[in-house]
Amino acid sequence: MKLTTAGLSDVGLKRGSNEDYFVMDTSTNLYIVADGMGGHLAGEIASKIAANTIQKNVNHWITKDSPEDELFDFPDSTLSRRGNYILSGIRLANRVVYEMSREHAEYKGMGTTIVVLAIMHSAVIAANVGDSRIYLIRGNMIEPLSKEHNMVTEQLEMGLISKEEAETSPLRHILTRSLGSSDTVDADIFEVEPMNNDCFLLCTDGLTDHVSDDEILRIIRNGDDPEHLCQQLVSEANERGGNDNITVSLIFVDRLDGERQGLLKRFWYFFKK
Amino acid sequence: MARVILVFNKKVIKEYPFGKDNMTIGRNEGNDIAIDNLAVSGLHARIDKTENTYILTDLQSTNGTFVNDKRITSHRLQHKDKIIVGKHLLFFALSKEEQAKVKETELDRTMILDTARQKDLLAKQAEKKGMEVPIKKEKIGVISFIDGSDQGEIQLTKKLTKIGKAETSEIRLGGLLMPPTAATISRRPNGYAITTTGGKTVKVNNQAIQESHFLKDFDTIEIGSYKFQFYTQESEDEK
Repeated sequence: MKLTTAGLSDVGLKRGSNEDYFVMDTSTNLYIVADGMGGHLAGEIASKIAANTIQKNVNHWITKDSPEDELFDFPDSTLSRRGNYILSGIRLANRVVYEMSREHAEYKGMGTTIVVLAIMHSAVIAANVGDSRIYLIRGNMIEPLSKEHNMVTEQLEMGLISKEEAETSPLRHILTRSLGSSDTVDADIFEVEPMNNDCFLLCTDGLTDHVSDDEILRIIRNGDDPEHLCQQLVSEANERGGNDNITVSLIFVDRLDGERQGLLKRFWYFFKK
Repeated sequence: MARVILVFNKKVIKEYPFGKDNMTIGRNEGNDIAIDNLAVSGLHARIDKTENTYILTDLQSTNGTFVNDKRITSHRLQHKDKIIVGKHLLFFALSKEEQAKVKETELDRTMILDTARQKDLLAKQAEKKGMEVPIKKEKIGVISFIDGSDQGEIQLTKKLTKIGKAETSEIRLGGLLMPPTAATISRRPNGYAITTTGGKTVKVNNQAIQESHFLKDFDTIEIGSYKFQFYTQESEDEK
């Protein structure tokens, strides 16, 4: 499998510190972005600890090819094994951040959003908690692979407000779920079939508060160097106010190298039986 | 600049402006806030300032440190907190500028609302609009075979359902030219999507699909001689 990747995190123009954190692990093709919250330094610590805990444990389970019953908490039967590694990693990170926030006064109330993407040739797994996002850009389509856990989304689903109202609502920064704010966490996970030339974007709300889905699509389709594209996305958000920390992580699938399923192989498969 | 006001027997004894990074409270003379009373430990508690946050820590004192009548080991001080050390009362007060800053950052910051308060807020808003709060039910996809198989109906419970000849497929199809995985159906934030993976033609409503295609209720899917219908049904579980 051949991937081209780049990531960039920027403090933005209004904040004194950067509470975002990201991990790009090319050895296991595991990508994580987190947007921390909480008072002085606590947000920075929550995002970093959550991302590192997930990376460390998921990689450990991958290396050991751990069975599902050895994971943290009960496995989810709707997921693949790798999907359960990620779910379990998120649950474990949640417990770690939550316990820290209870033990130390200076960490009280800290938490973080999290988006996790794992790419294998058989499946792509996308998981999230909070309002950071994962996008799949395939051809000329941009599609979310994450769900937003905030009040505005709930209000939209219930038909209480319109899409236009949602964009300016004072409640748009109020999360309904976050990693570390209670002793358990419910993550949304999706598994999709990857294809050659797919592009994945992981980002925090510092980008999406300023730049729309269509604009993101237009920027990405007009370039092919992920490093340059990351810079472009961050500058776009800063030019429009840079109200929050901005983190973007881009992964281009150049070649999947999956199992070949040519006609010859199919005959071979048939005769083997 | 924040201040700490020392009160004993309802009388203000002294006011301490917070001029450095930390202040200690205790009976010993070396403390920034020295309280000469036996109920106070030699080195009783400390307040640390970090940017705009003030943290009070009890230094394992004999009689404990209380904030707003609760015993604490460490506590993030808020404007107008009442700290009790022995028989003495310490008022914590932020300056006007600091109070404004706290308000500003709190408004702009991302916050988390617990489930009970979320439900409460949404119910109130719905009531205002004269609506009932709907119970959200998960929708689950179902594949119903029309032709080519007696598998009947299969619920798409997995996030990613593989369709093909391979033994690991959730939906197994036979046939000479059937690839190990001919197609996959994935559950995504925007609904169910079918993706062709094996190079074999996959048709939705008689149209061959390119890469992936979002499924609508009662779409007809054809793979080789197999034909089935897709629809969604409400799951028993609440979301």
